[in-house]
Order: sequence, then C-alpha cells, then structure tokens
Amino acid sequence: MRLADWLVLCGSLAFVVLYGLWRGRGSNSVNKYLLAGKTLPWHAMALSIMATQASAVTFISTTGQSYVDGMRFVQFYFGLPLAMVILCVTAVPIFHRANVYTAYEYLEQRFDARTRALVSAIFLIQRGLALGITLYAPAVVLTVILGWPEQITTLIMGAVAVTYTTLGGAKTVAWSDFQQMMVMTAGLVAALAAAVLLLPSSVSFHDAVALAGAAGRLNAVTLNLDWNDRYNLWSGLIGGMFLALSYFGCDQSQVQRYLTGKSIAQSRLSLLFNAMAKVPMQFFILFIGAMVFVFYIYEKPPMLFERAELARIQEPSMQAEYRPLEQRYDSAFESRKAAADRLIQARRSGDSRLWQQGLQEYRSAQQDLDAARRQSINLVERAGGAKGLVDTNYIFLTFVTRHLPAGLVGLVLAVIFGATMASISAEVNSLATVSMVDIYKRHFRKRAPDRHYLNVSRAATVFWGCYAVLTAQFVGRLGSLVEAVNLLGSFFYGGMLGVFVLAFYFKRVRARGAFYGVLAGEAVIFATYFLANIAYLWLNVIGCLVVVATGVLITRLGRQ
Amino acid sequence: MAEQLPEHAIESHGREHADDPPPLLGTWRRMYFVVIGWLAFLILVFYLFARRFAP
Repeated sequence: MRLADWLVLCGSLAFVVLYGLWRGRGSNSVNKYLLAGKTLPWHAMALSIMATQASAVTFISTTGQSYVDGMRFVQFYFGLPLAMVILCVTAVPIFHRANVYTAYEYLEQRFDARTRALVSAIFLIQRGLALGITLYAPAVVLTVILGWPEQITTLIMGAVAVTYTTLGGAKTVAWSDFQQMMVMTAGLVAALAAAVLLLPSSVSFHDAVALAGAAGRLNAVTLNLDWNDRYNLWSGLIGGMFLALSYFGCDQSQVQRYLTGKSIAQSRLSLLFNAMAKVPMQFFILFIGAMVFVFYIYEKPPMLFERAELARIQEPSMQAEYRPLEQRYDSAFESRKAAADRLIQARRSGDSRLWQQGLQEYRSAQQDLDAARRQSINLVERAGGAKGLVDTNYIFLTFVTRHLPAGLVGLVLAVIFGATMASISAEVNSLATVSMVDIYKRHFRKRAPDRHYLNVSRAATVFWGCYAVLTAQFVGRLGSLVEAVNLLGSFFYGGMLGVFVLAFYFKRVRARGAFYGVLAGEAVIFATYFLANIAYLWLNVIGCLVVVATGVLITRLGRQ
Repeated sequence: MAEQLPEHAIESHGREHADDPPPLLGTWRRMYFVVIGWLAFLILVFYLFARRFAP
C-alpha cells in the first residue's frame, strides 16, 4: 500500500460515509429512522438493493471463480429478473398498502401473531448467524494478502458501518449504499481496464478474449439439463428464481430497502432496475476474472494464491517434494505461454488446421498447469495445512495488490471495504427493525412515545453491530462454519418463502395452516438435507412447496 | 391482490398507495414484458458469445 492508495481508500470511504450521514440527517422519528420516512426515489433504492446484495465476497470470490471455472456462474442470476417481476406484481403493492415496517408484520395482518413471531425468529436466527460471516470473510482475505490483523479489519469495517447506521438510520444506509455502488462500479471498470492494458503489447483485446475462450473460461451458458451441475441455464432460471424470490421477498434486509420508497411505482422501478442491471453486472465481474486469467498466461502466477499455505510447502523440510513440483509448474507455465502465442498467430492467419493444433497444445499445457496446482494442494495437506485448499478468494486481490498501479489498489480496496459496509449496514438495520417492531413493540411494550421506540431502534442497531463485530472474531476458529451458515440460509429461506406464497396467493388458507405449514416445511428441509443427497439450492424449492401443500391441507381438513 | 388484505389496511392509505403508472411505456405489464424480453436477449447474447469463443 502506497500513499496514493491510502489517500484513495480513506478519501472514498470518508466521502461515502459523510455523504450518507448528510443525506440521512433529521431522522428523528421511528418512521424516518427505519423507513427513511418513505421518501426515497427509485434510483437510491435500486442501488441500495444492489449494494446490499453485493458483499465483498461477491467481488473477491466471483472473479476467482471465473479464473478457475469460467463464467458459467452468471447463470445463477438468470432467475433474478423473473423473481423481480413476480415481486413487483405481488409483494411490493401488498407491503406498501399494508403500511408495514417489516415483511413479518404483514403476516400478522394476514394470519396471526404466532406466525409472525415464528417467521421473525427464523429471520433473526438466520440473518444473525450470517452477520459475523459477512464481516469476517473479506477480513480474512485482506489479512492474508496485506498482512493486516483480521481483528483490526473487522473492527474498523464494523465500527464505521454501525456508527453511520446508528446515527442516520435507513436513509443514511440507502444513500451511502448509493455512493458505495458508484465506487464499486469505478473500481471494477478500473480493474478490467488494468487487466487488459497490462497484457503484452502483442496481445490485443480480441486475442485475450479468444485465449480465455480457448481455455473454457467464457462458458457463460450451458443448455444441458444436469441435476448434479449447480450452474446451468435451467437450475439458474428455476432454482435461481426461487432463491431470489426468497431473498428479495422474505428477507427483511432487502424488503426494507424497497419499503423506503415514496410510492409503489418508485419501489417497483427500483426492483426492475435490478432485474435489468444485475445479470450484466455479474457478467462484467466474471469477465474481469477471465481477463485476469489471460493476464496470468503472460505473468507467472504463484502456484498457490494463498501465501501462508504456499510458504508452508516451501519450508526446508518440504523442499524434496516441492522442488520437482515447482519445476513442473514452471515448465507448464512456459509451455502454455508459448502455446498461447502460437494460438494467436493461428487465429490471425485464419488457418483452421494451425488453430486446432495450437488449441490442442494450449489445452494440454493448461491441464499440466492445473495438475501441478492440484499436486501442490495435496502437498499442503501432507504438510499439515488446510485440507482440500480452495484459494479462489485470493486470486483477484493478489492480482490487484501485485500488479495494479498506485491509487488503483486503494480504489479496489475501497470497493471491498465499501461492499462489506453496505451489506453490514443493511443487515444490522433490518435486524434492529425486526427486533424493535416484531419483538419489542409487539410483545414487550405495545404503547410508548415515538421517541422511546426511536431510542430502542438505535440501541438495537448498536447491539446487532457489536454482535457482528464480536461474532466475526470467533468465526475464524470455527472453520467450516462458513459453509454451514450458507447452508443454514437455504434451510430457512424455503420455509419463509412458502408462508409468503400462502399469504399472497392462497386467500382461503388461515393462520393454523400457515403456522404448521412453516414447521412442516422446515422439518422436511432438514430431513431432506440429512437423508437425501441433493444440492442445497433445491432445498428452497422443496421447503416452499411443502409449506404451501401443508397449509392448504390443514385448512381444508379444518373446514371439514 | 388488494382484496386479500384487511379492509382497514386499504382504506387508511387511500391515494398514497395508488397504483401509479410507470414513467415509460404506459402500463406495468409492458414494463414486465420489456424486463423478460431483456433477460431473453441477454441469455441469447451470452449463449452466442459462449459458442463463438468455445474451445
């Protein structure tokens, strides 16, 4: 980190926070604090929704995934526009007309207090568990790449986000998210431009795209219907739609963003903007990863991007195994570079025979390189390091910190910090809202002055912020919990989506059916996960269907 | 969907929650068709892009 990087990093973050606080001034009532007084225009909500969803891991991990596995992850987002249209038709007008602070408040209007309490509790558990991870995941990467202590990184990001959320409430969250998205866009464009401009002068942009494609890194659409393949057109459209419906329709961290709109039309426009912009944005991020891959055809990448694990296998005691592996890796790298040059010549000459020959050499060298990397991962395990090491999260930041010019490193780090703070602030804001509205006000103190509820909301924000920072300190020691918490999200989203489907579309279903429907849905989700071998994306679909079927059945039986 | 809500929820908000038309295209239905059409266009473009540069 050079002076220019520090200036850009601190300057952009300070601007974002101060701008958010300035726009959020005067949030002196519960309505203004939790729903921005329902005054926000569509563009502020649209970017706030986008920033809330785009955590730092989205940028770090997605680019690395494209580097290793290609762009097929973009299909995961194909269901999102469909979900947004469904939500515009159903959830947005219903929530607005019900005049609620939280999605779960509506469940009491539609069903009863018991169903509301159950779903609120599910949200608090699920989102609360994920909160520490949202903060910890980028911190651990920054620790490895930059050597910053993760406690300090989580503390800084958490403290800044919680301070401005506590002071300004939903309005500050939205407007700071708005600016965070601007910084993120600038950082991503700069990263792509740098990846392309840093290529050797003999390699044109078209050559770079051809090289990425030849290595299978531009596989954006797969038409094959394969149930074991997590990312294809069909799983993206169906599974992705259910996931997006759950996330944007039932998760208060997102619902609260579009409840701040001044009208139904403004809220709808914010969701439709995301419907149109999200897929191209993900394509763009994945394309950066593909270009970083091409950059590393000409600049030798480290055998492992996680430095600590690489250092482990470079220790003197491991040299006997490491040396031959390093030679194999170096040789494969040189072969791939030479094959890439021949492939470019073949492409330019238009000779299909030469192209096929070059392609074979290029792919063979790539396979050698991948094999050497796999061997090094096995060696890490033998040396007492991580089992089945996955270092994709370190690829993009390695590229940024080692190769980008001064200033740009600070900008990209501002993107990582900003993305984390945007997610944390929205999550803390929503957890505080549910704690105050659905738990405190509903069950502990039904009547009190507005000022009292405002203070409780602020206190709840501080509580969840401290909780986030504290849990982030322990997440690292729990290791595989990161994956477990992601799974927990899938355990609960299906049940939550099911109860809202019942509420919106099955007007004959009553409270009893909805309540036991959620319990049955959750039971089946857990049973399916532990007893059947099925990809967790489908748990959302199964859970939703079971809740609906049980709710309808219980209601019918009750009538008979 | 309004008929599914308790009456008081609708009555108490009146014009404030009216279903205003979108700023473009006249109706929300047309907006939704544009969004779905845009998705179909993107999938087609990505598919052609992937095929064009497939190994």
